[in-house]
Amino acid sequence: MTITVDRKIYSDKCISNAIYWLSEKYIIERKLDGDIETISVNDDNGENFRTEFLRRLNDFKLREIIETETKDIKTILYAKAFGDFEE
Amino acid sequence: MKKYALLPFNFTQIDGKDVLINELGDMIIAEEGTAQKIVNRTLNDEELYKTLVAKFFISEQLLPPLIDIYAARLRMKKGFMDDKTALHIFVLTLRCNQNCTYCQATSREENAAKCSMSIDDMVNAVKLMFKSPSKHLTMEFQGGEPSLEYELIKTGITKAEEINVAEKRKITYVLCTNCRNLSDELLQLCLKYNVQISTSLDGPDFIHNQNRGKADSYQKTIAGIAKARKILGNDAVAALMTTSELSLNYPKEIVDEYIKQGFNGMFLRALNPYGLASENENWQKYNDRFIAFYKTALDYIIELNKHGTFFREEYATIILRKILTPYTTGFVDLQSPAGIVNSVLIYNYDGYVYASDESRMLAEKGNFTFRLGKISDKYEDIVSGKKVRKISEIWSNEVLAGCSNCVVRVYCGADPVRNHSTQGDMYGFRPTSFFCKKIRQ
Repeated sequence: MTITVDRKIYSDKCISNAIYWLSEKYIIERKLDGDIETISVNDDNGENFRTEFLRRLNDFKLREIIETETKDIKTILYAKAFGDFEE
Repeated sequence: MKKYALLPFNFTQIDGKDVLINELGDMIIAEEGTAQKIVNRTLNDEELYKTLVAKFFISEQLLPPLIDIYAARLRMKKGFMDDKTALHIFVLTLRCNQNCTYCQATSREENAAKCSMSIDDMVNAVKLMFKSPSKHLTMEFQGGEPSLEYELIKTGITKAEEINVAEKRKITYVLCTNCRNLSDELLQLCLKYNVQISTSLDGPDFIHNQNRGKADSYQKTIAGIAKARKILGNDAVAALMTTSELSLNYPKEIVDEYIKQGFNGMFLRALNPYGLASENENWQKYNDRFIAFYKTALDYIIELNKHGTFFREEYATIILRKILTPYTTGFVDLQSPAGIVNSVLIYNYDGYVYASDESRMLAEKGNFTFRLGKISDKYEDIVSGKKVRKISEIWSNEVLAGCSNCVVRVYCGADPVRNHSTQGDMYGFRPTSFFCKKIRQ
């Protein structure tokens, strides 16, 4: 079975993260044509993959937004916590 | 709701709920879809909003007004890094007087030759230990069976005491023993220097004897525990168990045995893939059964507590401390940066220094990946050498694929030695990692 994903909506990182966790159970092939990525799975029970993949894809999309929005504050936080600390 | 900025947090779904965990390990359980609402700014629950602000999930200002407290709490969570390398394990010998079916230390016969530390190496290892900048030093004697090497223990402790007159460190001594061979002489030494006893008790007699490979093992261990308690006091003796395949069938019986023997806690410990244990034929099956065993035993312990018996499962205690308190735990298996080298060093009977207890177990199988240098080498060359610098690139779960965006990252740790041992490379692959599965379930 195949799933097509629009890279303008879901980044490479997002898709890679979702696939990473499913690569234990499935053999997955990725092909990119312009902004459209086609993901092929060599499995009879492709519907299970679709359900799991889409759930993870959306979760990682959300995580990506959080990461992008909090990148600067995270840098400040870690610098304050561990920088210039005197014993 | 006011306009707000997001602060770093992660989320997952469990049993139809959203579980949100922030950078400090604070957890909020809310209705499914909450993470999405927070990101989309469509929250409509005033109480939840206040909780999210108070617990550093969101901020009403771009820079949280309490940023210094936020940073101080993060620093506290990583407090183990301030402790530096505090745990120093001295593997005195591979000689042993038991024949455990799953021996993780690849022990040898009681009268075997050329498998004990030399006196010179012991003295040099103690000197090396004091090169660690840690204010607290734990000197732990392991084997084989270390009680077979009284002179080495005595030499190690007396040398440490001698050096410490000038160093003034806080030293804790621990003897890991099966309690079969606790002589009066050894226990008097333990009494004099306040040595803590850490022993192994696998459960009732039929389990302990089978696991330990001797018909009188249970009887001797119980007698040894009683003798140690009589001389050193009840609190000086702790025990831990290892879950063999036989043990998997008896979770409640094992808990009951610990209560019967007067312990108020236990560590439900899985087999590790080292030593003889690595020859276990079906790890996947064992691992799945261990998770079921652990859940049954933990449920039973919780029930016992509800009915008035105070009893603790130590692994759950560690995890709960990470979730519910602002403090660090000092448990080296769940640290990032990893416990190896940063918190623990091993001085092995063979005259070499290793990165962790598991590292020297790998060495017995001919794998010297985590051998860091000789006991006679300079401390700086051992802990900051080329090998350690290479390992350090992958010893923080903040930078590992599958870990960096894992919801339980802040409670977990990095373990290059385990990855190397179980998966063939130090980086590891989380989807097939049993350790990962155990933590996430």
